Amino acid sequence: MTHRLASFALVFSALVGCAARADESAPPAASAEARAQSLERKIETLSRELDALKNELKQVENQNEALAAQQQQQAVLAQQQSAVQNGGGPWDRLSLWGYGEVNYYHPQHRPEDTQADLARAVFGIGYRFGERTVFNSEYEVEHAVSSADDPGEFEVEQFWVDHRFAGWGAVKAGLFLMPFGLLNEHHEPTNYYGVQRNFVETLIIPSTWREGGVGLHGDTVSGLGWDLGLTTGFDLSKYELNPETPLYGRASELKEASPLQATHQELALANAQHLAQYLALNYHGLPGFLFGAAVFTGNAGRVDRSAHLPDSRLTLWEAHARWRPGRADFAAVFARGTLGDTAATNALNPGASNPLPGSFFGYYLQGAYDVWRRDQTRLAPFLRWERYNVGASYAGLAAGFAAVPAGFPQPYDRVWTYGMNFYLNPHVVFKADYQSFQNNADFTRFDLGVGLNF
Amino acid sequence: MRGHGAWLWLPPLAAVAAYAPAQAVVYLTVEQAQKEMFGDEALTSLPLVLSAAQIAAIERDSGVKVASPIVRVWKAPSGYFFADAVIGKHDLIEYAVGLDANGRVRGVEILEYREAYGGEVRNAAWRAQFDGKRHGDALRLGEDIQGISGATLSCQHLTDGIRRLLATYAVAIAPR
Amino acid sequence: MSSHLHSPSVAALLAALWLAACSSGSGTGLSSLSPAARLGERLFEDTALSASGQQSCATCHVARFAFAENPGLDGPDRGSPVPLGGPEMDRPGFRNTPSLKYVSYTPAFHFEADGTPVGGFFRDGRAASLAEQAQQPFLTSFEMANADAAAVLDKLKTRPYFAEFVAFYGAQAGRDPQIALARIGAAIAAYELEDEDFHPFSSKYDYWRRGRAALSAQELEGLRLFNDPTKGNCAACHPSTSADGVTPPLFTDFTYDNLGLPRNAAIAANRDEEAPEYTPANGTDGVHRYYDLGLCGPFRTDLAQRSDLCGAFKVPSLRNAALTAPYFHNGAFATLAEAIRFYVRRDTDPAQWYPAAAHASEIVKFDDLPAAFGGHFVVDLDVAGSDAGYRGNVNTVEVPYDRRLGDSPALNDEEIAKVVAFVCTLTDGYDPDHPEDYAALLPAQCPQSAADSIP
Repeated sequence: MTHRLASFALVFSALVGCAARADESAPPAASAEARAQSLERKIETLSRELDALKNELKQVENQNEALAAQQQQQAVLAQQQSAVQNGGGPWDRLSLWGYGEVNYYHPQHRPEDTQADLARAVFGIGYRFGERTVFNSEYEVEHAVSSADDPGEFEVEQFWVDHRFAGWGAVKAGLFLMPFGLLNEHHEPTNYYGVQRNFVETLIIPSTWREGGVGLHGDTVSGLGWDLGLTTGFDLSKYELNPETPLYGRASELKEASPLQATHQELALANAQHLAQYLALNYHGLPGFLFGAAVFTGNAGRVDRSAHLPDSRLTLWEAHARWRPGRADFAAVFARGTLGDTAATNALNPGASNPLPGSFFGYYLQGAYDVWRRDQTRLAPFLRWERYNVGASYAGLAAGFAAVPAGFPQPYDRVWTYGMNFYLNPHVVFKADYQSFQNNADFTRFDLGVGLNF
Repeated sequence: MRGHGAWLWLPPLAAVAAYAPAQAVVYLTVEQAQKEMFGDEALTSLPLVLSAAQIAAIERDSGVKVASPIVRVWKAPSGYFFADAVIGKHDLIEYAVGLDANGRVRGVEILEYREAYGGEVRNAAWRAQFDGKRHGDALRLGEDIQGISGATLSCQHLTDGIRRLLATYAVAIAPR
Repeated sequence: MSSHLHSPSVAALLAALWLAACSSGSGTGLSSLSPAARLGERLFEDTALSASGQQSCATCHVARFAFAENPGLDGPDRGSPVPLGGPEMDRPGFRNTPSLKYVSYTPAFHFEADGTPVGGFFRDGRAASLAEQAQQPFLTSFEMANADAAAVLDKLKTRPYFAEFVAFYGAQAGRDPQIALARIGAAIAAYELEDEDFHPFSSKYDYWRRGRAALSAQELEGLRLFNDPTKGNCAACHPSTSADGVTPPLFTDFTYDNLGLPRNAAIAANRDEEAPEYTPANGTDGVHRYYDLGLCGPFRTDLAQRSDLCGAFKVPSLRNAALTAPYFHNGAFATLAEAIRFYVRRDTDPAQWYPAAAHASEIVKFDDLPAAFGGHFVVDLDVAGSDAGYRGNVNTVEVPYDRRLGDSPALNDEEIAKVVAFVCTLTDGYDPDHPEDYAALLPAQCPQSAADSIP
């Protein structure tokens, strides 16, 4: 473009220069004036012609440009389409991601229990089979080393296929995360405040909770997300009524106190005799707000098939809300579970140190605020108050017998967590918090952590 | 078994669903989205290929990388219509943005969505947050645009995309 | 734990299925055992396979005493806590005979991930399988006392079932002494695995769990104390619940523990100068010539260097415990009440169990364990805290033996009686249609609670 104009300028200046020379060699007086006028006319004509030429050229150029653009655009579109539809190479259909966290726990009153832990390292593999069908999977190593002699575990956390059969819905099948609470489906360390996940969403709603099964889900334009399905459930035969040693003695072992953590199956040769149903609804029709609730119910079998006991039905429901006005972030979750027909089981095991609870619940309120932001870096202090009780009620206990033996940690608590998340960028977060336990004061601790997600 | 009966329709339904056609689910075609935003106005394709200088200016202005120099834009008597795509988490979300003659957003539509999670961005109220926005507004998730819990990445990338399109309008279309 | 129980329970299940199939197919009157188990039964009871001609497995493992020894003065061991055997039936053994009931549920010996030793046969777990265990008494000089496998085979050849043995196990098993002995062990193991007499799960407690019997208030209270981790805490090692959710509770977790039992002078081997000449002389502390150290020897040899395991013995099942007196590996206690009293008062009242030391108020605790492993621990009854800071192999951490001088015992005598009443409900042979007959099955140490046993 520019060099063409330059050549035009050259031609023009040559013409003008030529005219000037003609002027020098011209005779004086009237004839000179007439000649000058005719020259002016000529120049005028030339300049008009030049303008016309310029315009013509511009048009041609525009046309060329448009043509080139259209061609290019079509080529790119075709390329994009074939990449999505026919997948291009298998590498284009593949997606890889990962997340993990390294944590440090320092119990204030029991410094000898201070721990550092590569709590989890997770790698995800996704594969797109076509425009409508996608496979997602995640593989997790907990506590760094997984072998027979180490505390670690290697787990398949997700392994499912999602197929969108219509605009209004999709079907999923395999091992998938249950749509409960605010964290379970989005449990990457960048997604929650505090070094460890909150207690409500680990002790009452198990974490990370997944089941094998089939689900239908979708979102409406009005902002209602829905998800329902048929899955495997819990297996009470994994419940230990009389563990040889107390199941937990510090905050980082609290998971063991949860009746659902102890009995969820993770699709490891899961007992599938009893299937369970779930339904989850989320409304996000008001920007910045999320309201949701979910319920899960199914037969959990019984602790011991060698005894004459009724099966227990497990029902877990929860409600959650999140409000993010500007830089603030408020969240609340309430969850409650019930186990039916536990009386016979407990009556059969009087004096057990870990009787089967009839109900358990927990709730929390949390507030966070971005006090400082620069580009993608931000600092968000937060405050959380939570209450949990993994043994809210028991049926069939021996008369005069406490559910929790003297000297054992209590299965309920109220916990304040003060801390901050420092996001170096949306993918890397440094965390620090202080958790103060009201009942099991021994559990009070200071935590540090670094988490990442890509 | 009793009590499961009502739910056992799920697996067969899943199987039937598996026979659905293999093309992407199209919520709206480009033409439908144009009609939605501009009614019966005649739209003409406005071919636009960004120059290196324009790309640099857009990236500087919006803080978002420009992946392709080609802009799919149409001119209507009362504004402009853009069709664009961003990556949600792993896959493309195709969407459209309509601007009025003054460069203010008059609508955002999701055309195609492919991922298992994050489909909440189709929510009309969420998209309505962009209405009236123009080049120069913040258009930042968590500031003037609220995210959707559980669909943060899709929201983030769409917000970035729209900010990029408004910068594109300001750099390459408005001066004409 | 459950994974290790899995295979025996699967085996038992298969055996049960096989039994069911067989009994329905072959009609009544015929033995429901496999040919191997039928041979095993005859081998188990055949005294002709011993040097004395008077001793078989069944001599020491008596069915009516839950396949443990007859403790009576009129029994073959004449009231001794250890069996008598050898060519002349006058050689005392070293350990109290364990019950064979439910023994087929024992997992093979192994160490858990946290280092806990588990399983194996014999009280020190030295036999890897029931079949291997069953072979050893044939060659032990103070038991059936055959010089070698050839001597066993020679005797076997004279038996009326020898043809059957060869027909089933092949000609080589009738010629090669090693193979013959191995097959004898296998046949006896098959018998113990298949015959329901070894694992009937027919105690009153089993019927109660199945909703077909009622426990008396005393028995229920006993169970509560048994389970309660702050009282008896018995269930910590003798689980009263199913380990795998399928097999009924076995009342042992097959782990090992060092209880610091008092030395039992009623065992000849413990009487130093009077000990039989075949007693191993493993005592190097100048106090005793011989110590029975369980996992670390002297009968088990592969863990001799694991000094931390010296004095640890396998936790036995408490099923039928009321019938298997005396108690513990050295038969130190004649009754269940005495055994439980030892648990809860070992540390609060050591003078009751252990000998006095040189000084008047001093007691030597754990006197059947060399000092090097935490034995011969001298405490002064007049000095509070003289038993503090114990370092050694004896378990002084878990309830109920976490007490010290001056503490009150975890259970009082009334509570001990309740726990005994509960343990008595673990005696097999309850008939839900005739609960009144149960009392007759129970030994004298059990309360006569027939009146309570109404479903």
